[in-house]
Amino acid sequence: MRLRRNREGDRSARETQILGWLFVAPAIVAVGTLILYPLVTGFKESIRSGGILFGEKPGYVGLRNYRDVLHDPTSQSAMRHTVEYVVLAVSLEIALGIAVAVTLHRVFRGRGFVLAVLILPWALPSVVSGVLWRRVFDPDTGLLNSVLLQLHVISQPHIWLAGGHSAILFITIVHVWGVLPLISLIFLAGLQSIPDEVYSASAVDGATPWKQFRHVTLPLLRPSIAIALTVGTLLAISIFDEIYVLNGTALNTRSILIQVYNTTFTEADFAHGTALAFLLAAVTAVFGALYALALRRSTV
Amino acid sequence: MITSPATRLVKAIAIVLIVFWSVGPIVLGITTSLSTQREVNAVPTHWVPSHPTAAAYQALLNGSTGQSTGGTVTQGGDFVHAMTNSAMIALGGAALTLIVATMAAYALGRLRFRLSGAVLALLVGTLIIPIFVIVIGLFQIMANAQLIDTKRGLILVFVATQSPLATWLLYTQVRELPHEPEEAALIDGCRRWQAFVRVVVPQMSSGIAAVAAIIVLSIWGEFLIPLLLTSTMNAKPVTVLITEYVGKYTTNYPILAAAGVMALIPPAILALVLNKRITGMLAGSS
Repeated sequence: MRLRRNREGDRSARETQILGWLFVAPAIVAVGTLILYPLVTGFKESIRSGGILFGEKPGYVGLRNYRDVLHDPTSQSAMRHTVEYVVLAVSLEIALGIAVAVTLHRVFRGRGFVLAVLILPWALPSVVSGVLWRRVFDPDTGLLNSVLLQLHVISQPHIWLAGGHSAILFITIVHVWGVLPLISLIFLAGLQSIPDEVYSASAVDGATPWKQFRHVTLPLLRPSIAIALTVGTLLAISIFDEIYVLNGTALNTRSILIQVYNTTFTEADFAHGTALAFLLAAVTAVFGALYALALRRSTV
Repeated sequence: MITSPATRLVKAIAIVLIVFWSVGPIVLGITTSLSTQREVNAVPTHWVPSHPTAAAYQALLNGSTGQSTGGTVTQGGDFVHAMTNSAMIALGGAALTLIVATMAAYALGRLRFRLSGAVLALLVGTLIIPIFVIVIGLFQIMANAQLIDTKRGLILVFVATQSPLATWLLYTQVRELPHEPEEAALIDGCRRWQAFVRVVVPQMSSGIAAVAAIIVLSIWGEFLIPLLLTSTMNAKPVTVLITEYVGKYTTNYPILAAAGVMALIPPAILALVLNKRITGMLAGSS
């Protein structure tokens, strides 16, 4: 009996090895050919000259494209815009996300319905979000102008998407609309992990709801805030769809990724487009690492 | 906990605001889609049409000319075609991704094969690679393989981009499943792969359903990749077609809104039906 089991054990150990590799093979092939390989060819593109098309000798030029991009005024303004998108989006998401989570944390009638409705914006394509919000900001027929005109806040229609800061703010609102459900869920999970006793103890001490929030909830939410901060940054730093739908590749709202798209596919300048993309990816990787760190901290 | 009436009032207002914020733009899209261009352009604009009409939906499905709709031209049949493309790509991509990812997750979580740790690290590591750095190389590969502007090509790309996250989510699931059912099947003489198909996959079914929903939603919403890898109605998904309805100078809002409403119905239904599983998975993974 024991002998048979051992022999079977050997056979099944070999089977396990083969089966293991067979089962991961499709994933490895897919990721290898369609992610890692294009990653390498893309990087090669970024360290090559533009070639004959741009009146240059073909060949590798080291980090020159990266230097060019960093000194290019249009790319610089795209970087500034991206920072604005990220800062605005992340601060809105964290403030609103905590507010939503605190509101929906405790059981009330209809909570299931509200939670179901809450995730809708996240489930929709960001292109559709842009389409839905577009009429709100339209200079001629937009709801925002209509309301503000009627309330006599403004005396003539304002072209929201053409102005610098208002345009970026409005695109950010559309972006936040789609991301807020995810951030709210992160904070809801965070609130759920705070034991009720903490609250009863502070209630006995006579703390007002605001004091409780400020001195009990907020400090205990710190791990969730770290996660929300990194997730929000990762999503906002590569903002593209909402800008494309609401304002195309217009200069006043151009993010880094819109600039990458324009350089690469409109100007056919692969060298500088990829260089800018890899610069953005490097920054993204840093935030990705921070995200992993925040995630590990919160679970340990 | 004792709550004062004032706190309760603030909370009630907050709940109403949350619902309004979440569905407001969708409701506005629906009312806009049922309006005429004239009502949308009226000053002050009409939020709700006084004479609801399905004209925008007709223009979307049967086609229209730029003159009659003010800048937005729709080709009869194109919209339905794009919706079908989106559905085929999302369902095909999700099905293939689930097969690939379930197998990989099982192998990584249960079979102690050599270098499995390295394989897991490799797959999870690719999560850190943003899609936009690979699109340029991807474009060249797809062009060489003559897969530009094909649904097959897009499905393959999405399997590659979705598999790492799907594998990771399913892997964490496999690790939490009880081993006993599979061991019992093995003792009963099942081969390992049979035990996987007959015992472990059914055990994983609720996790697979949640991951399936998340993948379908995310492929349905994809924009940048299909924008670059498609050029005709052969493979163009609805997200790409919709952006073409945004006119250069003027836009026909009812038609644009009708397209948006149609494109949001499938994901909205999916999200509402599977909302508990989706929220569970999202909150759990982040």
